[in-house]
Amino acid sequence: MYEVIIIGGGPAAVAAGVYAARKQIKTALFATQIGGQSVVSDGIENWIGEEVISGPDLALKLKKHLEAQKDSIDLHIGENVDKINKKNDGTFEVMVGENIYNTKTVIVCSGGRHRRLGVPGEDKFEGKGVAFCATCDAPFFKDKDVAVVGGGNSGLEAVVDLMKYAKKVYLIARKDEDGLRGDPVTLAEIKSSDKVETIYEANAIEVLGDKMVTGLRYKHIEGEEGTIEVQGVFVEIGSVPNSEIVADFVDTDDWNNIKINCETQETSCPGVFAAGDVTNTIYRQNNIAVGDAIKALLSAHEYLKKN
Amino acid sequence: MAKVTIYSTPTCGYCTMAKDFLQEKGVEYEEIDVSVDQQKAQAMVEKTGQMGVPVIIIEKDGQEEVLVGFDQVQLTNLLGL
Repeated sequence: MYEVIIIGGGPAAVAAGVYAARKQIKTALFATQIGGQSVVSDGIENWIGEEVISGPDLALKLKKHLEAQKDSIDLHIGENVDKINKKNDGTFEVMVGENIYNTKTVIVCSGGRHRRLGVPGEDKFEGKGVAFCATCDAPFFKDKDVAVVGGGNSGLEAVVDLMKYAKKVYLIARKDEDGLRGDPVTLAEIKSSDKVETIYEANAIEVLGDKMVTGLRYKHIEGEEGTIEVQGVFVEIGSVPNSEIVADFVDTDDWNNIKINCETQETSCPGVFAAGDVTNTIYRQNNIAVGDAIKALLSAHEYLKKN
Repeated sequence: MAKVTIYSTPTCGYCTMAKDFLQEKGVEYEEIDVSVDQQKAQAMVEKTGQMGVPVIIIEKDGQEEVLVGFDQVQLTNLLGL
């Protein structure tokens, strides 16, 4: 029986893991890989202590710090947790493939994944023009026309990444011009480029294509529809929490975020704690995820003293 | 001995992670930067039917496995690490 099982591989999970190991708490950590959502960022400038660091370099540092604890924590990297069950005695079963691991507490740091458009053509053309990572895939769209769906900072940054390669970049935003949310520098770069055309107050409704993407249909909030000819559609419309593994027995909000007590990171279920983007945290930042995960671990430690 | 080829772009985070992982495990690989080599980019798209990096090709015992994306579990299994 473990005392703590941590789910996740991003900054939150690593923070909980390092603290658990140093407190000599009997812990296992399960992650498909170590790094978190910022792995795709080529320059993180607000990770405290580093003027600028790439996502992969930060991932490496997190990995090294965690692996340095491996005498005091069981690391299961490359293993995906399928489900967690709550048992009648208040402990938990963590199912990983054919293996079952028992634990007194669980700390969920499983983060979020890209929200999808959920429109026809999106699944069919994923990898064939529909993409979720401009930093990764922008070079494939050299001299082509592309669309970015999403008027938040991720969408705007995707536009800037694509401007370096594409012939033309369309930005489809749900709100009006004042609704674009992003860093002033990024906004200015986009507005001054004649490669970029913004379609405001519109939603993407269908991805068109043959073998690869050939176009995107959109609909204005007033009802008018239009089609643009593009070879790439980048989806940057926010993220969805990976809370399915505990959603059966832990309270979540309307967006499926795990609801937490922000003083202790406790969830509605005794023995289950959570931190980072999987929770209903107001601010989604690496530095905050780390702090919250440490709170979660310290709270779990207190819980273990009494249970 | 498996021959490993990785198609990547310089700004691709998962490509870097895949390369870091292979280096850590002492696996030699050939890297093809598809952001500068348009012909190789086209070949990669035709071979995999998609435009996403990394693409990792493992040639072993006359067989070829094509992996799209960095999947540490699959890589570990296929390379016997």
